Amino acid sequence: MLALIIAIPLIAAIALFRIPSENKELVRKIALGSSGLVFLLAFGVFLGFDSANSAMQFVHECSWVSVLNIQFKLGVDGVSVLMVLLTALLACASIFYYLNGKDVSVTFLALMLVLEAGILGVFMALDTVLFYVFWEVMLIPAYFLIGFWGEGDRVYATTKFVIYTLVGSLLMLVAIIGVTIAHYEATHILTFDIQTLVHTEIPKSDQIWMFICFFMAFAIKVPIFPFHSWLPHAYGAAPIPVLVLLTGAMSKTGAYGFIRFCLPLFPDAAEMMGFVIAGMAATGMIYGAWIAIAQKDIKSLVAYSSVSHLGFIVLGIFALNDQGLDGSVLQMFNHGIIAAALFFIVDILEKKLGSRDLSQMRGLKGKMPILYGIFMLITMAALGLPGLNGFVGEFLILAGVWTSSSMSGLAAIYVLMGGLTITFAAIYMLFFFQGAMQEKNEELPTDLTDIDKKQIYMLLPACVLIVFIGLFPKPFVDTISPTTKHILTIEKTVKTSKGHSDEHH
Amino acid sequence: MFYTWLILILPLLGFAGLSWFGDRIPKKLVGPVGCATVGGSFFFTLIALIHLLSMEPGERVGNVQTLYHWIQSGNFTLDLAILIDPLSVFMLLVITGVGFLIHVYSIGYMEKDPNIDTFFAYLNLFIFSMSVLVLAADFFFLIVGWAFVGLASYLLIGFWTEKTSAVFAARKAFVMNVIGDVGMVIAAFMIFENFGSITYMDVFAQAPEKFLANDDTMLLITLFLLVGAFAKSAQIPLHTWLPDAMEGPTPVSALIHAATMVTAGVYLVARCHVLYDLAPYTMMLVAAVGVITALFAGSMGMVQYDIKRVIAYSTMSQLGYMFLAVGIGVYSVGMFHLMTHAFFKALLFLGAGSVIHSMNDEQDIRKMGGLKESMPITYYTFLIGTLALCGFPLTAGYFSKEAIIMSSWYAEGSNPVFWALAIAGAGMTGFYAFRVFFYSFFGTCRTAEAHPHESPTIMTYPLLILAFFAIFAGFGAPLAHSFLAPVFGGVVPEHHTNGFLEIIAVGVALSGIIVAAIFYAEGGEAEGKSDGLKELLAPIHDVLFRKYYIDELYDVLIVQPVKKTGEFIWKTGEQKGIDFVVDEVGAQVKEMSRLLSIWQSGKVRIYALNMIAGTVFVLIFVVFL
Repeated sequence: MLALIIAIPLIAAIALFRIPSENKELVRKIALGSSGLVFLLAFGVFLGFDSANSAMQFVHECSWVSVLNIQFKLGVDGVSVLMVLLTALLACASIFYYLNGKDVSVTFLALMLVLEAGILGVFMALDTVLFYVFWEVMLIPAYFLIGFWGEGDRVYATTKFVIYTLVGSLLMLVAIIGVTIAHYEATHILTFDIQTLVHTEIPKSDQIWMFICFFMAFAIKVPIFPFHSWLPHAYGAAPIPVLVLLTGAMSKTGAYGFIRFCLPLFPDAAEMMGFVIAGMAATGMIYGAWIAIAQKDIKSLVAYSSVSHLGFIVLGIFALNDQGLDGSVLQMFNHGIIAAALFFIVDILEKKLGSRDLSQMRGLKGKMPILYGIFMLITMAALGLPGLNGFVGEFLILAGVWTSSSMSGLAAIYVLMGGLTITFAAIYMLFFFQGAMQEKNEELPTDLTDIDKKQIYMLLPACVLIVFIGLFPKPFVDTISPTTKHILTIEKTVKTSKGHSDEHH
Repeated sequence: MFYTWLILILPLLGFAGLSWFGDRIPKKLVGPVGCATVGGSFFFTLIALIHLLSMEPGERVGNVQTLYHWIQSGNFTLDLAILIDPLSVFMLLVITGVGFLIHVYSIGYMEKDPNIDTFFAYLNLFIFSMSVLVLAADFFFLIVGWAFVGLASYLLIGFWTEKTSAVFAARKAFVMNVIGDVGMVIAAFMIFENFGSITYMDVFAQAPEKFLANDDTMLLITLFLLVGAFAKSAQIPLHTWLPDAMEGPTPVSALIHAATMVTAGVYLVARCHVLYDLAPYTMMLVAAVGVITALFAGSMGMVQYDIKRVIAYSTMSQLGYMFLAVGIGVYSVGMFHLMTHAFFKALLFLGAGSVIHSMNDEQDIRKMGGLKESMPITYYTFLIGTLALCGFPLTAGYFSKEAIIMSSWYAEGSNPVFWALAIAGAGMTGFYAFRVFFYSFFGTCRTAEAHPHESPTIMTYPLLILAFFAIFAGFGAPLAHSFLAPVFGGVVPEHHTNGFLEIIAVGVALSGIIVAAIFYAEGGEAEGKSDGLKELLAPIHDVLFRKYYIDELYDVLIVQPVKKTGEFIWKTGEQKGIDFVVDEVGAQVKEMSRLLSIWQSGKVRIYALNMIAGTVFVLIFVVFL
């Protein structure tokens, strides 16, 4: 099933390259059909997932490079199953959105599908080399998508993005090999299997450099302060459907990497450096929010708000306790939905008004009452109104940080920074929402219309999820928490044979 | 008692229904639907009241109704549950009862507004949120309700979205309240950390055993809770949003910014009295801030010309009295003033709304006058409200405020300074309340083109009902105290009688009224009569009129720096700092590779030569070193 989830978009991408591009209807069917099918499969996996079980489920395993014992091994646990669902949902939505635009490029769609496959692969890979391959696969389509279809200084933006993230991922490759060698030295078994490797006891001194290598890759990908400088350019240049995948799903691969690798593989290093990283994350969340207040361009306002929210997520991870980790994973899902919806709204406004300048727009409520209602709900979720999904995540994260033992003295400061961030979020989101929608404006174009049915259908799932998770977070938290508990308590015992390690679950 | 969930569900249904179908049903039906849901809630509140009264006093507390298991993360678990006890029912009576009357009034007041469906949807949302706030059985849902009333307040202040000043006022209120919410959230974390639970029952049961009085933790928890309470109840220094909130429609001011939401802070202190009893220092602060706000707001109210703003300052001032009461530990006295205040303040706001309505949305009292003849019902009810506000003997306000002032002399946590300040505040109250009254209703109308007329019956009936309670509710004081006693550990506050002190208090209030009468009894400022005095007081008047320059101060100290810093971080820190460094690293690497690429000449001869040179170098290295 999981292999199918990756195979379908890839096959569809190849098919799209092969068919004549004039056949618009067929292109449409393939693109929408494949991404829809992937979403249905992902949803099926989510429904079939046994949340009481913290082990990897739906494991698919076959040998790939047998000499080095590299495997094509996929599986999902409570964290990745949500991320897979999120990625499939966002890919489906953004392809749907793109197909409703004016010019449809077949290559664009094919690259989008490859990007989707790459991200899904990252979330499901259970072999470090396979993980690395998918990690790089994400980069190639993103490079072309921004480079060819972007706006503004797109070549500079995409080059910066790719080189910066490449630096990180090469460091990660070194550490991936390092971990396997460490395991080999202890057991004389060559393996890249993540589930086996997590039980390796790596000497503290080695842990630190490996941790830093992994950390750099993920920190740049998320990105967390101060490694975020590719983001404003890339987000500014990226076309909206790509941006939705970039911010909604791809940024989560970094945070996911922390949870999948940094915490279980290098617990001592994570404990030691956790409070420093949390400091970066906390700085980043205020930093992003503060810059967002000064933005007049709504796209970069949402981009910097993402820097802020992603900082929040990483902060929760390095609280290194149940609440923080649960909150972070939930917030990864929430932020994916909210940021995607906000970017869609940015694009709708830009298309309708021909400008993204906040000082140019005013009083749209009168002409666009439906968008007004939806936008208001999403604004409230983004600024963390209790009762909506954003608050559940933020509350758990801050509760985790507050009670975190690894941050001890700094915990209170980080929580206060979180409080300031929430206050700032209220300010910039209200600047955005009220500035665009409220007050009186006589100069609006007379032919301005409200969002159409298709756009409503696109934003509706986001609204439903925002309210649903806000009111019934339990199914989601129940899915997440056995896994996070497991990650926090993985025993550091080196099993002599590979067969035993899986029985641990 | 499972039916109590209906108190929450009905207004929620009203909100959902009116926001989805509001524009599809006839405009005439919108108001009655909105009222019906709140009326239903009031009905079930009454049943809950009877139900509680039928129980033994000891059994009335701690009835938790659990709906479902809400979340579980690590050792953090939480049910979705509500708590029915005398305190929550007492609050609900005010919220749904006064709320219902204001809903009915709104049918008339908002009749011509094209968005009346949205208005009632928001009002229902507010009633729902406020009910969540008072029914919550734990700190988490308290915060949820807390933030939701903030949202409803934001939506209703900015209801006229085309009015720029309303949009800004709404934003200000929201941001101020978010600051309060953050304080509450932090308090909740501390409570969770120390008690391992955030339900009221667990926390209040453990607190007295775990902590001594004035323990640091207790002080911090109560102080962080206070941030929320002060933000919501517009106490110094988080008060600046309330006067601006008057940009909203007048029924909103009556419901949210007078009768219910702004009293949430008082409710919070009363609800958490177990914690506050363990933090006498915080209590001292509560009382001090309360009495200072009472004076401070009263002084600003004396010089304003906007009828709603004057009443808004008077609300702040009365909230100060309530905080004084809970701060000196006489919780049920504070709660009782909360209730009588809800009656007479809602009455005053609705009366003001009736005046504004008939003056074609004019709010400046200098342009009114002589409304006595044209609006008799409004006139008499407004008079009753004003008298109650001043604490005129035998009105409701007299009983409740007198009890606070007397307690501030006698109560353990108090001192004569509080008493003196409270008395001074009462004097101011008499002055500003009657200043507005004389300005509006006496003399002759100062706007020629206005044709003031009495409001329709749908607006005057609520006025009459509220006026009835504004007069007679005071006699219910002993009942209210004994009803609330189980919540506050069975303590019924002592009734202090001291003829001398009472005469002083009443005398000061009356002298305030008399001073107002001397200056304004002819409706507006008497010509020439006060010129000398005016010149003398001009500097003070300016300071008061500009609200002690606090808005300007906040702008200079907080708003502008935040904006400028954001700009600075972005332009300098981000673009010239971090981004520049990253680009520079890239550029240097590029430069270096350009230098290195000299070696790649493409000539095999030179490559071979280099290889040999390198090998020789390595050999020398290995052999000789």
